[in-house]
Amino acid sequence: MRQVRRALASALILAGSVATAAAQAKDTIVFGVSVPLSGAAASWGIGTDWAAQQAAKHINEKGGIKVGDKTYKVEVRSVDNKYTAGDAMKTVETLIGRDKVRIITQSVGTAPAKAIQALTERDGILMFTSAWGRSVKGPKFPMTFTIINTPDEVLAPIYTTVKLRHPEAKTVLLLNPNDASGQDTAKDAQKYWTAADIKVIDSLFFERSTTEFQPIVTKIGSQKPDIIDLGGTPPANAGTVLRELEVQGWKGIKVIGAGTGSDVLVRTGGAAANGTYMGLAADFDGPTATEVQRKLNAEAKTVLKESLNVIHMGGYDGVMAAKAGIEAAGSLDTKKIADVLPKTVFETSYGKATFGSKDVYGTPQQLLIPIVVTQIQDGKTVEVIRILPDELKKRLAQ
Amino acid sequence: MDLVAQLVVNTLQIGSVYVLFALGLTLIFGVMQIVNFAHGEFFALAALVVASLMPALSASLGLPLWADFLIALVAAIGAVIILGALTYWIGFERYLRDLVGSFILSVGLILFLQGVLVEIFTATPRPIEPIVPGTISILGGRITAQRLLVIGLAIAFTTMLYLLLQKTKLGKALRAVAQDREAAMLQGIRYRRISFYGWLIGVVMAGLAGALIAPLTVSQPAIGGDYLIKAFIIIIIGGLGSIPGAILGALLVAFIESVFGYYYDLTMATIVMFVIVMIFLLVRPQGLMGHVER
Amino acid sequence: MSSARWMDIVGATALGVLLLLAAFSQETYTLKVILWISLNILAAVALRFVMLTGELNIATAAFWGIGAYAAGILTAWYEIPFTLAILLGGLIPMVISVAFGYVTLRTKGPYFMLISFAFTEVVRLIYTQTEIIGGNSGMIGIYSPRWLDPYYSLLVVACTILLVGTMFWLERSAFGRLLKAIQNNDAVVESVGLDVQKIKIICLALASFAAGVGGALFAHANRVISPGDFSFLVAVYALAYVKIGGEKHVAGAIIGAIALTLLNQYVISFGHYEHLLFGGAIVVAMLILPNGLIGLIERLTEFYGARRSGGSSRPQEAIDG
Repeated sequence: MRQVRRALASALILAGSVATAAAQAKDTIVFGVSVPLSGAAASWGIGTDWAAQQAAKHINEKGGIKVGDKTYKVEVRSVDNKYTAGDAMKTVETLIGRDKVRIITQSVGTAPAKAIQALTERDGILMFTSAWGRSVKGPKFPMTFTIINTPDEVLAPIYTTVKLRHPEAKTVLLLNPNDASGQDTAKDAQKYWTAADIKVIDSLFFERSTTEFQPIVTKIGSQKPDIIDLGGTPPANAGTVLRELEVQGWKGIKVIGAGTGSDVLVRTGGAAANGTYMGLAADFDGPTATEVQRKLNAEAKTVLKESLNVIHMGGYDGVMAAKAGIEAAGSLDTKKIADVLPKTVFETSYGKATFGSKDVYGTPQQLLIPIVVTQIQDGKTVEVIRILPDELKKRLAQ
Repeated sequence: MDLVAQLVVNTLQIGSVYVLFALGLTLIFGVMQIVNFAHGEFFALAALVVASLMPALSASLGLPLWADFLIALVAAIGAVIILGALTYWIGFERYLRDLVGSFILSVGLILFLQGVLVEIFTATPRPIEPIVPGTISILGGRITAQRLLVIGLAIAFTTMLYLLLQKTKLGKALRAVAQDREAAMLQGIRYRRISFYGWLIGVVMAGLAGALIAPLTVSQPAIGGDYLIKAFIIIIIGGLGSIPGAILGALLVAFIESVFGYYYDLTMATIVMFVIVMIFLLVRPQGLMGHVER
Repeated sequence: MSSARWMDIVGATALGVLLLLAAFSQETYTLKVILWISLNILAAVALRFVMLTGELNIATAAFWGIGAYAAGILTAWYEIPFTLAILLGGLIPMVISVAFGYVTLRTKGPYFMLISFAFTEVVRLIYTQTEIIGGNSGMIGIYSPRWLDPYYSLLVVACTILLVGTMFWLERSAFGRLLKAIQNNDAVVESVGLDVQKIKIICLALASFAAGVGGALFAHANRVISPGDFSFLVAVYALAYVKIGGEKHVAGAIIGAIALTLLNQYVISFGHYEHLLFGGAIVVAMLILPNGLIGLIERLTEFYGARRSGGSSRPQEAIDG
């Protein structure tokens, strides 16, 4: 009776969802991760999810998280925020409502992060994020912590470096993706370039789904800037833009303020990528990376076929920060954890770090890790300067 | 850099890929009266196959780059034909001439195929080395030799399609069915068989577009989306089912993108294009070169 | 009992269950799911209402979005009372839809579908270009009154039932028969002296009111909206609910929305398999359920109905033995 079998199949589909979910073992803590897992930004999300899963694996291998005399295993659940506010809300609500998640260890994308904040701050959910925009931090958002370097950490060093090395450069043109991340980046870039006494002659935006960049590049080239700052442009697009710029004859200083993923940049930009200064590009293969990072990166290259970038690494560090917070607070109470985090020095992939920068944001929500400005030389990422935040130095010495 | 020449060159190179993509789409609509939203997935599949094979081939076979590219292209088209046949037999065959049904089916397919492509190829952006290096200046407009090659190949493939449609028996049958299905059937043309060939040719065109674009950009599973929207604009303006219309429409859209993208920005260009589409649909639904619906 | 009556019962029961759950459940998550189900039902029924005239109106998504932004702006910027904001969230798209319909409803079939698609994308792109409503990143801070929070799902279900019920009643009335006659052969309707386009516009306006209210409720439920929430996919998913549930009866839209919303919740936990599984489910459903889920239920009721009356209720089957 095909009909009955079909009906049963349909019923199973309907019942399936009700049955799923809260099949959490009693002694497991579930961390949530909200990242784009589809669409143009999918490679950010998939890599981040992988790194987070690795962190969970390492923690569980070492025995899990100890709270008092109880030990918990860690599970990381990633949901697809499709890089939009509405989907981020919906999927996070499922994590919180159905899976009883209380800590989100990584969220990617400023617009999704701001949307989620409306929920997390109200419900007392802890959120670690790599959202670049300044607007996600501040005394109004005590449960939010950023785990990568952001404009206020990175831009001043990189722009002053450029200015020192190229004193004849007087003008800069900005290019950013047309969304919250890009717009926040452009604002900060304007501020810091002007502070470095360099004139911003134009600020352009492009849709993330763009594939043909010739029209934009023609526009950039015709304004003849001395410097071009690609801000928060993803490395694949940045490489394409740089290559087109070279084809159309522009020669100048290339900067990607929020640049990550230098190996993707080199692959897509070819020779045109040489000389580019980047603010968030960490070479996790090189001698300045930590042992942890090098091991993770090597594995990522086999499994994911790409190197990890700073955002991906945030997936790992968010989980480590959450673990440290729980153990330091001796409890799963998120308010207590939020209180104790800035007072704790803990292990991240970069080594020992803590949260701080209260003087900049009003609340100590910024992860203090080394700030590294790199330049692409001959297809390789070379460190130009490395700065350890003063506050971190003080805390480590204590 | 001469601005006008550069804008013209930009138009040509953007347009050449659009032409191949849109040709397939308009052919499918003409013959099968369905709207294939999953067209972009065949495009993405071909691009990904070429982008993943090229590095492997050039490392292991020691042939000149263009030979590697040819092999990769053939492999990509093979993959597209297999996927095309599968999707036709399993699904689209039942929804011939059913606009709504085929529409939903193709949307379901997009989601499904996106997931599959990410699984197989991962979401890592994949660039490949240009097959022909160097930059050329044409009357002041600068273009890479690679893109010139793509324009050349696009013209070649378009001509081949044109010859197929005009000079072969299959081509005549396709045109007959597009013009008047019932009359064609009366003439003894087997509609279902012809639909299948029309479908295959259509998706192969998308595959060729994808293979050609792989050396020009970074391939990832999501690249189909942007092109799909543009392709719909193109075939509406050009005329649903019209081959010369698709070519004209592609060049027009590329022109708007090139010029508007320079003077304003690309989103405005897209808005302008959509408004033009709406005006066409109201005033001249057959597009620039299509046939009037009964 | 005819299968149509069965369908009435199925549809009403489904809505009734939702209402009861919304009223008595204490679980936040269950309430949230009920809310999403209701909104999806609303979208599906609004889309289906225009399908009664034979037109596939992708612009349902556009009017959903206009309702959302309108209500969002009214609440977030001007602090208009909630009820008024929702009402205007329905009326504003309704008015716009009349203008839209006046211009576009003289085209039909694939052409109308493509125009409505283009319109939806234009509206969405305009949102992304308009900085004061947040551009690409969208608008945040759309809050419904605090005291309403625990009852919000109930409110949404109630509104859905109200609007769905109205559209159902209209479908069964003379007006509904007129719509179906237009779908069948509008030349005939025209020849009787009726203004077909005017009737289509009225139909579109009513459906757009429902869609606008849905969007407004969605905006207040999510508290953030962005252009990406209002792409043509809203209409496509609504269409999937209608097709997979079954086009022939409004209960199909209801059942389809319930089934697919639950399925979507289920696949969210699969992270990056979400698209694959959901898309796959739609494909499978299109292939094995040509008449939708209610087609399935119909066959079952016919089968069991025949068994019970000790023979076949259909003369053809009796002949075939």
